[in-house]
Amino acid sequence: MLFQTTRDHEQLRTKIRAFVEEEVKPIAFMLDQQNEFPAEAVKKLGENGWMGIPYPVEYGGAGLDALSYAIAVEELSRVDGGFGVILSAHVSLGSWPIFAFGTEAQKQKYLVPLAKGEKIGAFGLTEPNAGSDAGGTETTAVDKGDHWLLNGGKIFITNAPKADTYVVFAVTTPDIGTRGISAFIVEKGWKGFEFGDHYDKMGIRSSSTAELIFNDVKVPKENLLGKEGEGFKIAMATLDGGRIGIAAQALGIAQGAFEQALDYAKERIQFGKPIAAQQTISFKLADMATKLRCARFLIYSSAELKEHHLPYGMESAMAKMYASDIALEVTNDAVQIFGGTGFLKGMDVERMYRDAKITTIYEGTNEIQRVVIASHLIGKMPKEGGGGGRSVAKKPAPITGVRKKMLFKEGEAKDKVEALVAALKKDGHDFTVGIAMDTPIAQAERVVSAGKGIGDKKNMKLIQDLAAAAGAAIGSSRPVAETLKYVPLNRYVGMSGQKFTGNLYIACGISGAVQHLKGIKDASTIVAINKNGNAPIFKNCDYGIVGDVCEILPLLTAALDTGKKEPAPPMVKMKRPPAPKPTPMGKHCVCGGCGYEYVPELGDPDAEIAPGTLFEKLPEDWVCPECAEGKDQFIEA
Amino acid sequence: MHCVRNVTEDLYWVGANDHRLALFENIHPIPRGVSYNAYLLLDQETVLFDTVDWSACRQLLENMEYLLQGRPLDWLVINHMEPDHGASIEEILLRWPKVKIISTEKSFMLMRQFGFQVDGHELVEVKEGDTHTFGTHTVTFVAAPMVHWPEAMVTFDVTNGVLFSADAFGSFIALDGKLFADEVDFDRDWIDEARRYLTNIVGKYGPHIQLLLKKAGTILDQIKYICPLHGPVWRKDFMYFIDKYDKWSRYEPEVKGVMIAYASMYGNTEAAAQALASKLCEKGVTDVALYDVSNTHVSYLIAEAFKYSHIVLASVTYNLGIYPVMKSFLEDMKALNLQNRTFALIENGSWACKSGDLMQKFIDEEMKNMTVLNERISMASSLGADKAAELEALADGIIDSLKGE
Repeated sequence: MLFQTTRDHEQLRTKIRAFVEEEVKPIAFMLDQQNEFPAEAVKKLGENGWMGIPYPVEYGGAGLDALSYAIAVEELSRVDGGFGVILSAHVSLGSWPIFAFGTEAQKQKYLVPLAKGEKIGAFGLTEPNAGSDAGGTETTAVDKGDHWLLNGGKIFITNAPKADTYVVFAVTTPDIGTRGISAFIVEKGWKGFEFGDHYDKMGIRSSSTAELIFNDVKVPKENLLGKEGEGFKIAMATLDGGRIGIAAQALGIAQGAFEQALDYAKERIQFGKPIAAQQTISFKLADMATKLRCARFLIYSSAELKEHHLPYGMESAMAKMYASDIALEVTNDAVQIFGGTGFLKGMDVERMYRDAKITTIYEGTNEIQRVVIASHLIGKMPKEGGGGGRSVAKKPAPITGVRKKMLFKEGEAKDKVEALVAALKKDGHDFTVGIAMDTPIAQAERVVSAGKGIGDKKNMKLIQDLAAAAGAAIGSSRPVAETLKYVPLNRYVGMSGQKFTGNLYIACGISGAVQHLKGIKDASTIVAINKNGNAPIFKNCDYGIVGDVCEILPLLTAALDTGKKEPAPPMVKMKRPPAPKPTPMGKHCVCGGCGYEYVPELGDPDAEIAPGTLFEKLPEDWVCPECAEGKDQFIEA
Repeated sequence: MHCVRNVTEDLYWVGANDHRLALFENIHPIPRGVSYNAYLLLDQETVLFDTVDWSACRQLLENMEYLLQGRPLDWLVINHMEPDHGASIEEILLRWPKVKIISTEKSFMLMRQFGFQVDGHELVEVKEGDTHTFGTHTVTFVAAPMVHWPEAMVTFDVTNGVLFSADAFGSFIALDGKLFADEVDFDRDWIDEARRYLTNIVGKYGPHIQLLLKKAGTILDQIKYICPLHGPVWRKDFMYFIDKYDKWSRYEPEVKGVMIAYASMYGNTEAAAQALASKLCEKGVTDVALYDVSNTHVSYLIAEAFKYSHIVLASVTYNLGIYPVMKSFLEDMKALNLQNRTFALIENGSWACKSGDLMQKFIDEEMKNMTVLNERISMASSLGADKAAELEALADGIIDSLKGE
């Protein structure tokens, strides 16, 4: 066989290349600089029939093969890596699960407009505690009879908030790990479905990436994708295919950088000749081209396997891993060949160098790709702590430990604030005394802290007023100090910043990123005020009010204001409830021959009994590791 | 001179008291001595239930000769093969070459391991539920694995209601003439040593004690005497002692009170412990017991830890770790399976205070179902006046917790 693409493939490549050179190349730098989504170009992609390349014509697609789709992503990425991933996320992640697992009605309603490019698709799996390990998913969908009630959030979602249709994964049966996850089709615009900030990314800045926030989103019953509990399977199958798209993106970025470097090496004269004539540069180019060819074959071959319905999970993982690894090397070499010029903004290789990095990270980090490949080679090994081979996520304890999590919901805002103040006073917080607003955070008995939710800088006045009324020092989240610069850098609270160990922490407009929460875990009382009821801060607070800071803070200030504060006496640390114990996973059993205790969490490694194996699940011929008595000699501890 | 006592009708105590042994199992101090109980039944056939420590063998032989009056010993029932009861077996076999031995499979294995020449004798291996008749008395055997050795069994005489309970229901302290628990003020003079015996010797095997108690529960109305291998025989108020056993073996505290164990090098940690103790008493919690871990044998600390619901550990930092004697106390609590206690911590360190975190980690990770109160006192060298509020908070925290349970 001749390892070559067909004439049709190359004609498609030529068409797409011409389109992207004309439509995107001139604006690529601007998109990068301004963090802008090329909405117009995406629309034209659809008009050209390229938003549904691998889907059948009857569902609005182009009816072409997987290889054509890979070539399309490669060509878009050759000019702009961000543009490439818009297509990849739309086709592989947003549309494919509906094509593969959707009902006919779901396909008609959602796949057809996606494939035609009338709508944009996206995929929501990643969460703060569920990255490579989907078993940690915390977004929940509760069966409410005629609908599912979706709560939680997703982070790093490509094409959000531009996309119209989102395939979202949520836990429908808690505590059973990945088998309890289901997939849903969620539409933009539904009540309670909102977006967080558009991330300020290092690369692929023309691709839009945002956070999804679900607050009591009602998802119609018919929008369950696949069967309940099949979510993890759907996600994994989707990512198998998605890897081809990301591999093609990495290849395209590297190809673009390579072409630029080759041209430049032939033009740039040093020591009286083009630098391409220097062996060191020519060898570099030779290596780059070899890596590209190698990556290309891996990718095209995976696409062909997929097209012919042959197993391709391992091969696509190899393609994604290799193509993205070499994309870093090739773009790095390209910048090197450009020398100082390549280091300047406005140079394509500078952008490509940054764009390439994400390809080793998303849609399965390259570490996870190696896990996938190795698992195909080695087979299924007993899982640690999984018992019976399933992945059960340990419920992450709230980062700030045990908290009361009492949210004031009754009545008007004023009533909520009054209830909060009454609770604080009952706990012993004395608001007739206070500390200076500039007390160092580490020594402060109380802190009023501002997060990004505070909004405009003028709202910092609300924080100052509240701090004065509460007799507290002022703190902030990291972005408020670092990016917005509302307070000095030494006043932000968090793992990398100041740690608050005093008695009262009032978090205003702080969503509660992990690194922030770690900085307040020793606070005696945490009060949260935020308009997003699903913000992590509410799972980590003692008292909370869901509401706009601009409304709540003035009310709270008024309620706490006692006029001039007396100087606070030396701080007496207020106590907190003890942390809860993890519940044992199963019964412990004690040997009647020696007193050895079988602990399911530990298993019996010498007998190859995986940690997490329940006593009941031990093989019948298992014997006590200490004295060799049989199972029947054990009694429950 | 023989020294025997009649238990009931044809059953006699033929054991011995030992005031010369300093350390029981060569580890636990026994300042008030200990008894090794053996029992002789004079039925149509004669039966010896268990023997005594080698040091008391001659007394046993004298007692037996006195009671047997020249009759042969027909049977030897071994409920427990630990040498403080089994060591005289070989001498019995030599004196009465035709004696037949009844015991469990594992017990016979242990006899051979200890080098006793049992193989020329008739050996009757019994299992749970087997019975044997010696004339008018019929006994039934009940397995008692891991109370506190694997071979152990108890024997119940269905004719006179005597339960030969092996090490269960035993106690330190020599009998010195008394035989029955109702002949002493047990709750005043004996319970602490009974607790120290049980918790240190059998403490780890709570689930197996529970199993035995469950079996005993089914015949409780038939039991008239409980004859343990150490300490007094019980013939009334069984429930008093069974309740204690039930609590100890379920690791439930007997007393809502506070044990304070401190490790102090120069008296500063001790002063903090004393200050806490008086603060607690001042606030009305007077069930407080204070111990210096350095001069209190750990077996006493263990017994107190089994008794009290709350334990305060006050330790200096030593070589960046927990003070070794305190560490040993923690290790023993873990080894003896102590559970369901509430701890409070006082840590001291003059330059790098580590003991509090390390004790907390040990309690959280190595022990079962323990609670550590948040109100830890951290002191640098000594407890300064500025820590008064924290001391107050610690005392209040302990009291709240005592009330909360």
